[in-house]
Amino acid sequence: MYRTHLSWRWMRTRRTNVIGVIGIAVGVGALIMILSIMTGFLEQSKKTLRGGLSDLSIEPLFLPLKGGGKVPTDPASALDIVRADPRVSAACAQLVWYGILGQGGSDAAVSALRMSDSQGGKSLAGVKLIGIDFQDEILTTSLQEDLQRTPRMGVSRVADTSDPFAAPPNYKPSGRPLQAVVVGEQLARAWSLRRGDTIEIVTGVPDAETGDFRTQNRRYVVAGTFRSGENEMDLERIYLPRAELIDFLGTGRAYSQILIKSKDYEQHGRALQSDLTERLVASGVLRDLDSGEVRTWEDHRQSLLGAIKNERVLMGIMLSLVVLVAAFTIFAILSMLVTEKRRDIGILTALGATSGGVSQLFLLVAFWDALLGCLAGAVLGTLGAVYIDSIEQWLSRVFGIQIFDRGVYIFDHIPSVVNPLWVALIVLGAFLCTLLFALVPAVRAGRLHPLDALRHE
Amino acid sequence: MQTSNPDDQPLLRARGVKRRFRLGERTLEVLHGVDLELRPGERVALMGSSGAGKSTLIQILGLLDAPDEGEVYYGNVSAWKQPVDARARLRNRSIGFVFQFFHLIPELDAVENVLLPAMISDDQDVKSRRKELRERAVQMLRDFGLGERLDHRPAQLSGGEKQRVAIARALLLDPQLIIADEPTGNLDSTTGAKVLDLLLDEQKKRNLTLLLVTHDERVAARCSRIVHMRDGRVVT
Repeated sequence: MYRTHLSWRWMRTRRTNVIGVIGIAVGVGALIMILSIMTGFLEQSKKTLRGGLSDLSIEPLFLPLKGGGKVPTDPASALDIVRADPRVSAACAQLVWYGILGQGGSDAAVSALRMSDSQGGKSLAGVKLIGIDFQDEILTTSLQEDLQRTPRMGVSRVADTSDPFAAPPNYKPSGRPLQAVVVGEQLARAWSLRRGDTIEIVTGVPDAETGDFRTQNRRYVVAGTFRSGENEMDLERIYLPRAELIDFLGTGRAYSQILIKSKDYEQHGRALQSDLTERLVASGVLRDLDSGEVRTWEDHRQSLLGAIKNERVLMGIMLSLVVLVAAFTIFAILSMLVTEKRRDIGILTALGATSGGVSQLFLLVAFWDALLGCLAGAVLGTLGAVYIDSIEQWLSRVFGIQIFDRGVYIFDHIPSVVNPLWVALIVLGAFLCTLLFALVPAVRAGRLHPLDALRHE
Repeated sequence: MQTSNPDDQPLLRARGVKRRFRLGERTLEVLHGVDLELRPGERVALMGSSGAGKSTLIQILGLLDAPDEGEVYYGNVSAWKQPVDARARLRNRSIGFVFQFFHLIPELDAVENVLLPAMISDDQDVKSRRKELRERAVQMLRDFGLGERLDHRPAQLSGGEKQRVAIARALLLDPQLIIADEPTGNLDSTTGAKVLDLLLDEQKKRNLTLLLVTHDERVAARCSRIVHMRDGRVVT
């Protein structure tokens, strides 16, 4: 009884304990807040890294099969196998090719001039032509949202997002109507492309019969833009109907890859990858099991994801030091308290307290410090993480400086993800760490000889 | 003057108690085989010049410091052969200390300081009587003239008041033995006399054994027996 009573009394009356509580609260709060913000940044970065990548993709190498025969150039059989799997939510075929964008219109000379002007920067643009089956595509990828996202200044999105390849309104072709295409927002801005503008795509393709390279060019009309938020995609992609691209290229190849959306990627992603590989190889759609033609989105971003994970571990280690410092504060405070309370230790021993009881008394002081500090830290850290945007804006207003430059990132707020499990682990870790550090002075207090203690005046 | 019954079983017996201290390379023997008996209800004054070994002896008898040789018996129990926790229990239940410098806990008020032995005790009997003991502590302080000082902390009390709180603390659990180490040594003569009266009255009222360390002949004269120490030995 005296342990709880006296430890709480010491806790309340010694100012140094307030410093300890504040120290732990700041440590725990900062750790929760920074980790939540870091997790937010990492989650956002992960999303950005993933970009338009689907859960899984099949990218056949189109090499001759081992047992003879050719890999089919039409996606139908591969799509049938993929869609038959109950873990697959949707799948679509894409034909991907590269080209050079030139501004079309009546003045071909302007286009030629632009293409030859390397100083201009935007005169010449390599583009990625993505041939899609729109209805399949929107079920599998985020294209629908990319089309609907509010465009930035100076560009115009497609008029009808449910039929993006329809001719733009008020389009009045002078001759045969051109196929409408959707261009990335950044590309449109760089080239000042507006809805209804004409562009010319130049590309090189191998001749189906001779194998020689030959150039192809075709004009298209801009139906509008899409914005994925991923710089690379928005700067180089042009979407057009897959049938149109097959026709434009004339190589006979009908697809480059199949994108797959799974029902639960976290749970089934890897199993689906290996099962589909087996089935596709067995049915002659892919060459062999080890060719790596079926890949998850993480396989595509392996090195960058590894870097993020490393960063998280490093942050964890560095931030743990904050808690260690807080726990060390308690060690110092408790050591001071033991020295200060030597006479009281002697009195308690003379009145019948055991050495274990005295140790527990000091450990209880640390317990109150840790309890109050951790609780305050958890509340402050969580509130800080949740309201970080408002806090940042208030601080920016008060100090007249911009603390978080939203222009630098693709997100317009400070991302923060408060994970209750992390909060619990941080609180528990800090709590145990504090008690562990407190053990040394507490045991020292218990071992004090009562006479040495009583002599202390 | 109170007298003891020689037929009574001794409450405390010290036999051949020796205590040595190491001073660098040298070993200094402070107690050279002290024998002492205290009988129930006896009031004993322990006198001697500084360095005679009085304090060392009462620390050993009070189970605060271990002898290098010899035995201390409480009844028939050899106290220093008991485990540490049993000795702590013995200190808590059987011995009451009154120190020269009062030794109150500064963060606790007068009532809490008196209650401290009850708060420390692990005995079920004491635990079950805590409420009653609290009332007793309050009553004792009132009886000692501290009725207006119950919630005062030591810093708010005078020297005499502090010592009265310390006496109440020593008496709370009805120990058989009170060890008082110069209880008036830090008080002016008037206050000291009042505190001594209180201590002796309570000792008589409760028939406790009192071992009183003092330099004052007048104080010693009020005891039933005077034990003189010189150079680490009991001489009378």
